[in-house]
Amino acid sequence: MNQFLNYMVPGVADGSVYALAAIGLVLTYKTSGVFNFAHGALAATGAYVFYEGYVEQGWKWPFAFLVSLLVVGVLGGLILERLATLLASAPTVTTVVATVGLLVLLQSLMTAIYGASDKKSGDFLPTNGPRVGDVTISYGEMMITGFCLGAALALFAFFGRTRMGRAMTAVVDDPNLLALQKSNPAVVRRLSWVLGSCFATISGMLLAPKLGVSVGVLVLIVIAAYGAAAVGLFENLPLTVAGAFFIGILVNYLPSQTQKTQSLFLQSMPRNVPFIVLLLVFLFVPARMLTERGVRNARRFKPPKAFSLPVTAAGLAALLGLMIAVPHVVAETDVTVYSAFVAYAIIFMSLGMLVWMSGQISLCHLGFAAIGATVSGKLMTLGFFGWLPLVGDKTVSWPVAVIIGGLVAIPFGAIVAIPAIRLAGIYVAIATFGFGILLQQAFYLAPVMFDGASLVQHPRPGEEFSVGATSKRFEPVEGTSAGLFGIDFSNEKNYYYLALSVLVVMAAIVLLVQRSRLGALLRAMADSGVALEAHGANTNVMRIIVFCLSAFMAGVGGGVLAGVTQSASGNPGGTFDYTVSLIFVAVLGFCGRRPILSPILAAFAFQVIKIYPPFDDPTMIKYRGVMFGALAIFVAVAPALNLNTLLGTRGKERALDAEGGGGGSSVRDRLDVTPVRPVTIRTVEEPVLLGSKGSGA
Amino acid sequence: MLELRNITAGYDTGTVLRDVTLTVPDNATVALLGPNGAGKTTLLRVASGMIKPYSGQILIDGVDVTGDPAFKISRKGIIHVPEGRGIFPSLSVTDNILLQCPPGDFKKGFKTATTTFPRLGERARQIARTMSGGEQQMLALSHAYVSNPHVVLLDEVSMGLAPKIVEEIFEYLTDLGKQGVAQLLVEQYVGQALKMADYVYILDRGRISFAGEPGEISEETIMNSYLGSLAS
Ligand SMILES: Nc1ncnc2c1ncn2[C@@H]1O[C@H](COP(=O)(O)OP(=O)(O)OP(=O)(O)O)[C@@H](O)[C@H]1O
Ligand SMILES: [Mg+2]
Repeated sequence: MNQFLNYMVPGVADGSVYALAAIGLVLTYKTSGVFNFAHGALAATGAYVFYEGYVEQGWKWPFAFLVSLLVVGVLGGLILERLATLLASAPTVTTVVATVGLLVLLQSLMTAIYGASDKKSGDFLPTNGPRVGDVTISYGEMMITGFCLGAALALFAFFGRTRMGRAMTAVVDDPNLLALQKSNPAVVRRLSWVLGSCFATISGMLLAPKLGVSVGVLVLIVIAAYGAAAVGLFENLPLTVAGAFFIGILVNYLPSQTQKTQSLFLQSMPRNVPFIVLLLVFLFVPARMLTERGVRNARRFKPPKAFSLPVTAAGLAALLGLMIAVPHVVAETDVTVYSAFVAYAIIFMSLGMLVWMSGQISLCHLGFAAIGATVSGKLMTLGFFGWLPLVGDKTVSWPVAVIIGGLVAIPFGAIVAIPAIRLAGIYVAIATFGFGILLQQAFYLAPVMFDGASLVQHPRPGEEFSVGATSKRFEPVEGTSAGLFGIDFSNEKNYYYLALSVLVVMAAIVLLVQRSRLGALLRAMADSGVALEAHGANTNVMRIIVFCLSAFMAGVGGGVLAGVTQSASGNPGGTFDYTVSLIFVAVLGFCGRRPILSPILAAFAFQVIKIYPPFDDPTMIKYRGVMFGALAIFVAVAPALNLNTLLGTRGKERALDAEGGGGGSSVRDRLDVTPVRPVTIRTVEEPVLLGSKGSGA
Repeated sequence: MLELRNITAGYDTGTVLRDVTLTVPDNATVALLGPNGAGKTTLLRVASGMIKPYSGQILIDGVDVTGDPAFKISRKGIIHVPEGRGIFPSLSVTDNILLQCPPGDFKKGFKTATTTFPRLGERARQIARTMSGGEQQMLALSHAYVSNPHVVLLDEVSMGLAPKIVEEIFEYLTDLGKQGVAQLLVEQYVGQALKMADYVYILDRGRISFAGEPGEISEETIMNSYLGSLAS
């Protein structure tokens, strides 16, 4: 009992902080329909501002606390409200890109200013307190729990008892109607965003003494709030709080059990409780209970302007020519950078296909790439669990290994697609986010993948490799991987061309899919899945197919990428870190929507641009993520920034008149092109249906 | 009194209303008729501040409120029951009524609503989304009763309802008129609207083509004018 109490006390304190963060998240989602992926980053920012005041500037803690609350909570909330309003009628994918962009921006900004290592904020709350048996319940923990519970109760009362509280729910349903009923929707939204970000900020500051101020850790911990929010089905606040306590206690209690085992996998379990809870909810809760908020008003994507076939073909040929010319044009030492660029282009292309063709988004694409990289690397070198895949005395050849790597990623794609089958878009995004982190925390370190901190060797065709002893294998392995057409791939240019040929194959797949019936169906599904189902198409199968295909391509891309450096590492913050998946989404977000060109542009922005002036400046590189995030946000909200308003209302009318050719007759012209609707005129006695505008002509 | 003077308005897609002038005198019921797409809904949106006119003025009792946002105009007693269902589907009936009431006036408002529409009292805890179409329309309509309106703008409140319920709703509206609330009524049931109205306006392709008393125009003429506007 005493032992359980040992974990109970910090568990309840943690749980109450998670509850606070989760309530903030649910509140803003409920009232704006925009799920804020940057919620955790906001908490981290709050902790940093507090650290700056309390430690660096030496202020008293209540003052530092208040400053952070005002700067990050209140000001941040107001900014977020603007952002959310601009996103109000955007498709789900766009809202994900924008908030993920914000996450990338804040995370990079904090890392750029304060460095990657964590800071100590110091225990600003008292750590002493009464003892129960041999457990100390500190006053600090009591204050935290009391404060968070108080805040939660106050919020319930506010929601249940006040007009403003009801207005907060109503504003998502129909802001225009709310305005007709005497409430100002902007005020309602602003209040909920300010409350939500204040809650996030406070949770960040309260977690700081225990965890240290580190952007990565805080973002992850506050994501525990996602699990809690999922328990409350992203809507019910009391259930959310219960979920938070459950997670808090489990996270504190489980380590005592899992420490007893040898398995790294089990030892990583406690950290993953929130994601497992999240995924379980997504897998087992009836879909009708998880409906997306605010999608009703969503505008559709305008497809990019279509060019005629010859123009497209000529454009693609020119692009290919340019890419073939690259190694002969750029500096010898830069060719490696370009090889990686080609590999990244493959991964971007797989993501783009998913997003643009099916309107779904994945926040774990580097996870698929990591699977592809480790599987293909092991096939060519060490093998799994001491099993060497030797055929004769040759290892698996490079193309076969890379393809198998891609194939192995497919079942994972299918698993991730399960929520996609059942749930609305935003929950798929959340599920992939959770899956990406889970994969990294639970599996990257496992022997099947990167095996601890060691590197997975990934030799190019015909290259020698040597693998040191690992946890599963005691004698080192040395050998030469199978060659390919006798080409010397230690020459960078040759590897570049190998990568490029893979990219060409992938582009061909994308173009084929796009022109096929599946592509047409996918586009229709992105437009209106329900209508398509009414026509008898099986959208579930299509969702799985496209997710699997995308995972396959990403897996292949991962293999090609690992071949550039001839090794791959799963270290946090490395090539395959989950944050890179987020950066990918942000970068792709501002590179347009063309299936082939946009991914290549995105890979260029991500990988190549940084080696050329002025972008090679250390400051530029440091603030790269900030720029990516800002650009993604800008592109996401740009359609809502009505540039016409600069003209003024009269100007707008004039512009419209000019468009219509001017003069009085244009009014009629324009009215006549309105959508044809049947004209109904009824008398109480007998309804008469008269033809439609079209038939009248 | 609500006055719309020389209103020109529209959307990004084009101008809809051209130089429309319309008055709703105190205690009067005004019917606004016209074929689909004429701009009736747009005119009500202008009157309640949901969209801003390109030119022209909106006056309430002689005070210019042009350009005021919807929530300010609604606080001046202009109540707009919009096209479609003017309710919050994810809130309960009680909460919907609460938001319709002027702040701090809930108890009285709830009583008014439930005596006018007993059905709403029976279903107070139900989530609005799950109610029948007619019940939802009653809930939307209760806004006109609980908020001490000055002028009520009603946009096809009979839309999609069974004739019996439509009759019921017209009775409620006649009642409301007797209580001295001015109404601007957009209706598909031309005959009914003419019966209730003190004044009639016909809107045709964004312009007023007729303004006068119901006696000056017959249902048939109106129907023909609808057809005429289609043929041209
Ligand atoms: N939100 C909008 N954005 C752009 N155009 C609109 C919008 N709402 C209406 N319109 C257009 O304005 C014109 C007038 O529409 P309005 O809804 O005012 O007609 P109405 O007279 O109410 O028709 P109905 O009897 O069918 O309700 C139509 O051509 C319509 O297509
Ligand atoms: Mg209408």
